[in-house]
Amino acid sequence: MTDVFAQLGHGFAVAATPINLFFCLVGAIFGTLIGVLPGLGPVATISLLLPATYALSPVSAIIMLAGIYYGAQYGGSTTAILVNIPGESTSVVTAIDGYKMAQQGRASEALAIAAIGSFIAGCIGTVVIALLGPPLALMTQQFASPDYFSLMVLGLVSAVVLANGSAFRAIAMIFLGLLLGMVGMDLNTGEARMTFGLVELSDGINFVALVMGLFGVAEVISNLEGASVRIVNQMRIGTIWPSFSALRGAWGAVLRGTALGTLFGILPGGGATIASFSAYALEKRVAKDRSRFGNGAIEGVAGPESANNAAAQTSFVPLLTMGIPTSATMALMVGALTLHGIAPGPMIISRQPDLFWGLIASMFLGNAMLVIINLPMIGIWVRLLAVPYRLLYLVIVVICAIGVYSVNNSSFDVYMTVGFSLLGYVLRKLDAEPAPLLMGFVLGPMVEENFRRSLITSHGDPMVFLQRPISLALLLISAALLISIMMPAIRQRRVEVFQE
Amino acid sequence: MRSPAGRRGHNTDFYSGLLLVAVATVALLYIRTLSVGTVLEMGPGYFPLGLALVLLGMGLCLAVKGLLAEGNPIGSFHLRPLICVLLSFTAFGVLVERAGLIIAILAQVAIAHFASVETRWQQSLVSGVLLAAASAVIFVWLLKIPVDLLP
Repeated sequence: MTDVFAQLGHGFAVAATPINLFFCLVGAIFGTLIGVLPGLGPVATISLLLPATYALSPVSAIIMLAGIYYGAQYGGSTTAILVNIPGESTSVVTAIDGYKMAQQGRASEALAIAAIGSFIAGCIGTVVIALLGPPLALMTQQFASPDYFSLMVLGLVSAVVLANGSAFRAIAMIFLGLLLGMVGMDLNTGEARMTFGLVELSDGINFVALVMGLFGVAEVISNLEGASVRIVNQMRIGTIWPSFSALRGAWGAVLRGTALGTLFGILPGGGATIASFSAYALEKRVAKDRSRFGNGAIEGVAGPESANNAAAQTSFVPLLTMGIPTSATMALMVGALTLHGIAPGPMIISRQPDLFWGLIASMFLGNAMLVIINLPMIGIWVRLLAVPYRLLYLVIVVICAIGVYSVNNSSFDVYMTVGFSLLGYVLRKLDAEPAPLLMGFVLGPMVEENFRRSLITSHGDPMVFLQRPISLALLLISAALLISIMMPAIRQRRVEVFQE
Repeated sequence: MRSPAGRRGHNTDFYSGLLLVAVATVALLYIRTLSVGTVLEMGPGYFPLGLALVLLGMGLCLAVKGLLAEGNPIGSFHLRPLICVLLSFTAFGVLVERAGLIIAILAQVAIAHFASVETRWQQSLVSGVLLAAASAVIFVWLLKIPVDLLP
């Protein structure tokens, strides 16, 4: 326990250096910005900004990227409450009661409880990372390659759970991603694989080009399809602090949302979006008077907003302790770490204490900054909604192009982005989500390496995955998860949750 | 039979299956040149071969399902934003090393301008010039990306 505090103290020393503070602030501001703007999610933004982190130290880079992710959770609620347009998928349920509150003239109350709830949840979630991280990492260090392989399988299965739509197709997308991850040099023999004779592909498919095409550019093209929505905000925002009685009614919801979000963030297949949906359902269930929901219940804002922010923090736990991403955003973090030469996994805490503890400390600071960015300055963010998309997308495509180009100073990467944008657009039209593909792509090389190593140590006996207890347990959990989403009853429920 | 659902052979199942089969086939053709090896001594082709075969199988399943049953209709393609945005990136890639960053950005904005029906040329022109100027300052002077500004 005292050790954790000493380490955390070290983390604050890292996070409080002017440069890291600055990038924490940049991340928080960018996060709020994209959270406020609909049609620009954290996955697209983080992929857009990934090349810009090259010049930074790994610690500053991760601090900034993490800030974008949890900052988006704050910003997303602002538009959900004020104009009934959720800036992020995680704020969809917030709009139900939040917008009603705004219509009743209680916008400031809703905004304040969303920010305060997010802050409390963010701090508690961060404490959970600090407490849970080191023991989990220690446990994972005992893993042998078969266990790792099974852990990766669990990570991939979680991508299926997260996907909206057919599970079969999500699995197919994972295999497509795994196959794309194979492109490049074979680790054992150094032989070029599936490079089609292109030297540019010998290091594998450029991660930035893939994500930017699949998520960033494809999203821009989709957004340009229809007429853009002009958002006119006529809400008047009064005082930003809520009344004492409003707070008293909401604190239970904040704590319940935090607990739920913390749990969902850590679990494979959880994530911030599902956490916020579940928190709303929970609040509705525990409420004495259910009819208030949908008519401006403060719990309907406090619960989901706390849950999504708690989950945004704790989803870093599996990444930093075991090296498996549990969502597309975390897969991007894997990419970011790899670009900086850091292999995500249980060794991060012991080998990169600056990174781990610095990131945690920065989350406390970042959450505090976000409350300040979001509450007194809310008017500025709302005014940003007036920026028409016809100007915004021009900026986005140019930054995209320069970003991809600057990674390797290669035009080839720009052309590759064009290819992946086309693929991303086609996949959207075919109801196939690119997120599982990204998970497969990121985990592909590690899956193969551990698979090959396992079979070498077991002399070719595939039963090795079932003989080791850890591996067996992980595979059983994966199987249970897979079966559960295939089961009609749960499948129905899942569809409802996504459609609500 | 016409219904709001995608007809047999004209739904997302069929075409996503087809896409997967195509990718798997191309991969398999290439994997032929790699040594596969045995379970004990896996060659570079072992794992990709397995993946490509699974992908092929899943793609065939989806395609057959799409042929036999109705599924979701394919989302409508909007060619104008698609082609303009993709072309704008291609133009950037072609021009950035030959004509310099400033011309590449102006060309990209000029092409991307036609991706939306709502753009106004005066606004796009101003945005393009501002973007080129800002990129020159931020990326070339501050972040020192090794690229020429002018031809």
